[in-house]
Amino acid sequence: MNAPAKQYQILFVDDDPDFLAMIQDFFATLGEKIWQIHCATSADQALERLKARKTDLVVTDVNMPMLDGIQFLHILNRSHPDLKKAVITANATEEKRSACLAEGAELFIEKPRSPEGLKSIFIMLEELITWTPQEGFQGVLRRVGLQDVIQMECLGRTSSILEIHNLQLRGRIYIEDGRIIHAQTGGTTGEAAFYKLLALPSGEFQLQPFEPPPERTIEGQWEFLLMEAARVRDETAAEAAATGAAPPREPTPTDEPAAAVPECGTRVEETLICSGAGDPLYVGQCPDRPARVALLQDLAQRAAFISQLIPLGNFDRLEIQLAGSRAVAQTGADRMVFVRVSSPKGNLSTRLP
Amino acid sequence: MSNISQERLAPGTTVPGLLGCGLRLPDATCLSYSFDEAYSREHWEQILNQLADMMTLLNGQGLAPRRLTWTFEQGQIFLIPRPDGALLALAAQPNTEASENVDELAEEFFSLNPPN
Repeated sequence: MNAPAKQYQILFVDDDPDFLAMIQDFFATLGEKIWQIHCATSADQALERLKARKTDLVVTDVNMPMLDGIQFLHILNRSHPDLKKAVITANATEEKRSACLAEGAELFIEKPRSPEGLKSIFIMLEELITWTPQEGFQGVLRRVGLQDVIQMECLGRTSSILEIHNLQLRGRIYIEDGRIIHAQTGGTTGEAAFYKLLALPSGEFQLQPFEPPPERTIEGQWEFLLMEAARVRDETAAEAAATGAAPPREPTPTDEPAAAVPECGTRVEETLICSGAGDPLYVGQCPDRPARVALLQDLAQRAAFISQLIPLGNFDRLEIQLAGSRAVAQTGADRMVFVRVSSPKGNLSTRLP
Repeated sequence: MSNISQERLAPGTTVPGLLGCGLRLPDATCLSYSFDEAYSREHWEQILNQLADMMTLLNGQGLAPRRLTWTFEQGQIFLIPRPDGALLALAAQPNTEASENVDELAEEFFSLNPPN
């Protein structure tokens, strides 16, 4: 005997009772016995229902009196972090889309104007509700650029594959133990492929578990590869501007929940790469560069002193756990690096005061 | 509640991978306990002073650490500050029980009173 199909509890929140009635009518039919549809005409009513019943998916409107959809998502993100969230709105502006995605919505959809549109929404919501994160992944990466992700992977000395695509191009960057070891796109491989992917004007990317690449085509240090990529990108932008084309925009993470990193909302706040002598090579949002250079130089001296005192070998890095962020400082004879990354959940050493 | 003392610093059981630990009190007094002869009391005092100076430098740059992890080729030093200015330093071999349970090892540090 087959086990009964799982029933999904879905809560629609909209201050328009006619829309809710239509949804209830239409989706109850499409979802047959698998979708249990519940409705709330305000955010506070929805919160009450969420307390009373375990819910798999919340679908909310944006423009609602008292507590709007964005504020509602913000509350849900804290009170029900594992709950899947989608937005359906008649006023689908880019600003609202960004705000909703930043507040944890997995989907942002414009209100349909036809039965076909409702059916499309049903398919999208069904896809979302049955989606389960891949093993080894938690959270969703949003509002983080491609270069930021590569920096985080390299500094964290992790291994992963970055899949990048847009309408014209698809490619992969392989990172092993924090080293960029291979890139491929179309028939191009190696550094040329890496620069091509990082110079893409727009697109999406996903972080995938590491698998060995078919070959190893890149050996350079990641800091310099990123700097060179930035230079190539600037040149591409200049050429585009000269020909009147739209300026390049860095690829952003896909809205698909599959793109994920360990910390939701993680963002690179500050980056400084300088030579061993303290000359800046790359500066990204570094509010007090001379102070940071002095910090790195001081660190290099103290680390050298400590490694002379006790048999710990050469110094590799200093990790600084802060309230809401963390920083990594590396010093070497030829270069010094300081990167600070926000971690809003403050999950580092949370047991310590 | 116990007071911080040289005796209290010695862990009740040997934690695999723990090389030694040191305490620097707010008055700059240093206490240490070592599982490795390379980590003498004199060395610990110098290390603790270096770590405390770095902590001051970081605070001066608006980076108030909850924990510092100094990673070397063959070991790590974890530095954990207390709100009263006391610092606990733990030296451990990488990827060992000690390095992976720093929070647990530091728990008692936060419950001890300053010395009489």
